[in-house]
Amino acid sequence: MSAIFRCEGLGKQYGGVVALQGVDLELERGRVHGLIGPNGAGKSTFIDVASGRSQGHGRVFFDGRDVTAVAPGERRRMGISRSFQKTSIFPALTIRDQLDLAAHGAGGGDATEIAGMLGLADVLDRRAEEVSYGQQRLVDLALALVGDPKVLLLDEPAAGLSVAESQALAGHLEEIAARWNVAVLLVEHDMDVVFRICHVLTVLASGRFLVSGPPSEIRSDPAVVRAYFGSTA
Amino acid sequence: MTASLSLRRFLPDRATLIATALAATAVWTTAGFAPRVVVALLTQALIVSFLALGVGVLIRLSGLVTFGHAAPFGLGAYGAAWALGPAAPFAPEIGLVAVVLGVGVLFWAIGLVVGRVEGIAFGMLTLALGQAVHVAAGKFRHLTGGSDGLIVDLPRHLYGARTDALQTPFGMLVIAAVVLAVVLFGLRSFERTRAGRLAVAIRENEERVRFLGYRTRALKALVFALSAAIPALGGVLFTLHQGFVSPEVLTWGFSGHALIMAILGGTVALWGPIAGALAFFVLREELGGITTHWLAILGTTLIVVTVVWPSGLAGAAAALARRLGRRVGEGGTA
Repeated sequence: MSAIFRCEGLGKQYGGVVALQGVDLELERGRVHGLIGPNGAGKSTFIDVASGRSQGHGRVFFDGRDVTAVAPGERRRMGISRSFQKTSIFPALTIRDQLDLAAHGAGGGDATEIAGMLGLADVLDRRAEEVSYGQQRLVDLALALVGDPKVLLLDEPAAGLSVAESQALAGHLEEIAARWNVAVLLVEHDMDVVFRICHVLTVLASGRFLVSGPPSEIRSDPAVVRAYFGSTA
Repeated sequence: MTASLSLRRFLPDRATLIATALAATAVWTTAGFAPRVVVALLTQALIVSFLALGVGVLIRLSGLVTFGHAAPFGLGAYGAAWALGPAAPFAPEIGLVAVVLGVGVLFWAIGLVVGRVEGIAFGMLTLALGQAVHVAAGKFRHLTGGSDGLIVDLPRHLYGARTDALQTPFGMLVIAAVVLAVVLFGLRSFERTRAGRLAVAIRENEERVRFLGYRTRALKALVFALSAAIPALGGVLFTLHQGFVSPEVLTWGFSGHALIMAILGGTVALWGPIAGALAFFVLREELGGITTHWLAILGTTLIVVTVVWPSGLAGAAAALARRLGRRVGEGGTA
């Protein structure tokens, strides 16, 4: 299957510090691709450069088209959507209103269906600041999901969630990728979630590509163990 | 059913209708029975409240603080003087509307530029803008009359009605109140449109809005234009009422007073800045009779209000209403 989203040689430098260097990655529809690595490995930087949030080196292709210079809003309308590590919603608006805005911005889509799938149907008319943190994280995800995206770039969607909430979220992501044929890039620290739903894993360390492959191989890869724990022991 | 539901969004609820009826009764009673000096004071306050409302709308919808909104008020006032003058290219009725729309368009264009920055930088740009317009009003004497100002002769009729009433406190109080009510209804309706909700979303998290597929700059400029068109309307009423306009309406102090009114009244409700303007004028009148240092007392009042009620009179009223509502609820269930 050909990749719908392809990154070539992505890099980013902050002053003299190299945060990301020459990372390639491909996403296929219907599959969840995990991006893991220790703190400071460059995972969030990768998503920021790939989504157009920050300028960096390298090129990004979507459906064969070079979108490196395309603005984030335009990318969203093309079908590239992302969520943020820090909950990025609109506290003063009702959940219904913000999902409506998201649907309109993306050029259409059924916000009610997304809300129902994520268990937000009962709180649609409440302001986002009035619901629990777990529900706010789901609103963040729902904003990215509305409008039938083809590519989802998710930056630690399970951050701050309880074990039960993380597992529920993993189920939703699995369903989204499979049922809607969406290519998902998942940056996540919760390894239970990562190993449960990812079809492929790419590991970064110190801003560089370390290894890529199926989760079963990555789990026992000596280089990964060294990067995470500092030794093979 | 969907259409009727979406239409219902724009219809006034019961609380709004009651508040409107109370406000109308208060205006009518004041205009009819209060001493002339009180009516004159309230008329001035109501005209200036358009400026405070413009400042408040910008804070409410954009989270931006302006120090130069005397500029659109003054441009509205001078624009009205030109529209009513002998050299006006249009009939006064068209010219006055064109002045408000023109100020709105001008500030939309300015908003495209100044909207790129936020916080202190935005405040400083608006201050510079306000000062530039103030200085220009003093320099272009052939247009503005310089520091002497312009005297305006009103036509006998405007929009089919006699203009005598515009220059009486009673007449202008009623007209300003009606126009203000229409503006408030328009703003309330705008806030319930998708563009209004988008403005709030941009205020809260502009980056996320961009990542949802929107271009934010044009809408931010639209809110800036809206916040300028309202003071411009107040400026037009000012000229119609006073029959005179001078650079006094363009000073940065006037902009500062409008900001104080908006903060005093609060922006959690649309009526907050108007309440702030009324409170400001009443305080100034009362304190001015006691001491020439009334601004020092007003400043202290502002500090107290900011500390005790950070969301102003409107926020305090909302908190009181919630408390009363809870008490009534508890009484009902007991």
